[in-house]
Amino acid sequence: MADKTKVGKVFPPYIFEVEKGKIAEFAMAVSQKESKSQVKPIYVDAGAAKTAGYKDIVPPSTFQTCFLLWGGGGLMPMLQEVGINLIRLLHGEEEYEYLLPVHPGDVMTGVIKVVEMFDKEKKGKPGKFMEFTVLEAEIRNQRGELAMRARTTLVER
Amino acid sequence: MTKALTYESVNVGDAMPTFTSDPITRTHLVRYAGASGDFNPLHHDETFVKMFGMPRVISHGMFVMGIVGQAVTDWIDDKNLRKFGVRFSGMTEPMDLDDPNSRDRATIVVTGNVVEKFEADGEKRMRCEIQAADKLGGVKLTGSFIAALP
Repeated sequence: MADKTKVGKVFPPYIFEVEKGKIAEFAMAVSQKESKSQVKPIYVDAGAAKTAGYKDIVPPSTFQTCFLLWGGGGLMPMLQEVGINLIRLLHGEEEYEYLLPVHPGDVMTGVIKVVEMFDKEKKGKPGKFMEFTVLEAEIRNQRGELAMRARTTLVER
Repeated sequence: MTKALTYESVNVGDAMPTFTSDPITRTHLVRYAGASGDFNPLHHDETFVKMFGMPRVISHGMFVMGIVGQAVTDWIDDKNLRKFGVRFSGMTEPMDLDDPNSRDRATIVVTGNVVEKFEADGEKRMRCEIQAADKLGGVKLTGSFIAALP
């Protein structure tokens, strides 16, 4: 059961260096392709990205999932700290806000905060509750500019 | 991309081009696990999921969101995406290579509609509602995105 006293808790920052190899690997994964030559050029080719109006290669829209999982210690220590039961855990919602472009060479620092914890009665099961934990991340680049916000809703069923 | 999308040319109610994924295989899940760093055994180790009474591994929800993201940015430019959010509603099982009938449950179809046109932060923008379902109609996620338009 999630520990509701953890609302407001801020986890230690995690740092992720954006590399073009990782972007290409991620782009191949989400587009179900076997090689770089098959994915959208702006994800793998700086020249193509520039032609399309970007400063450099950009990552696909859900790439920031890597920031925490590869840059931080992953979600697990956080879940344990908040007291979430992994066997009951579902990923409920995920939302991204894109404020500034991200390119290879950028060094991103993410800070995650527990912003909400609440219960919701299960449909048709009076007295049985699902527990919700909402995490918000602010992700800044090496210049300290806020590049992205992410909001994750975790559910214990 | 078919033709340039502009604020003037787009209307509330317009449909986003339907996107159909390849049938998700275990190999896709392994590739996504390595790329994203999500190595929860739920997504690749059948001996693990069988302990919980599940017949087979299931996809990462974030992989399905990644496929939806691809559908979205096939239509609008990546640089114009302002916000993208989803609510997960159903699990996705990969196809079994020895059972061609399992293709449809593992094939993700992404659809969407323009629901709002508005101006914010000095930009012309649209909001679209989106849905991902398998070919049998099982809904995987619903959500929305906001994009700036020229």
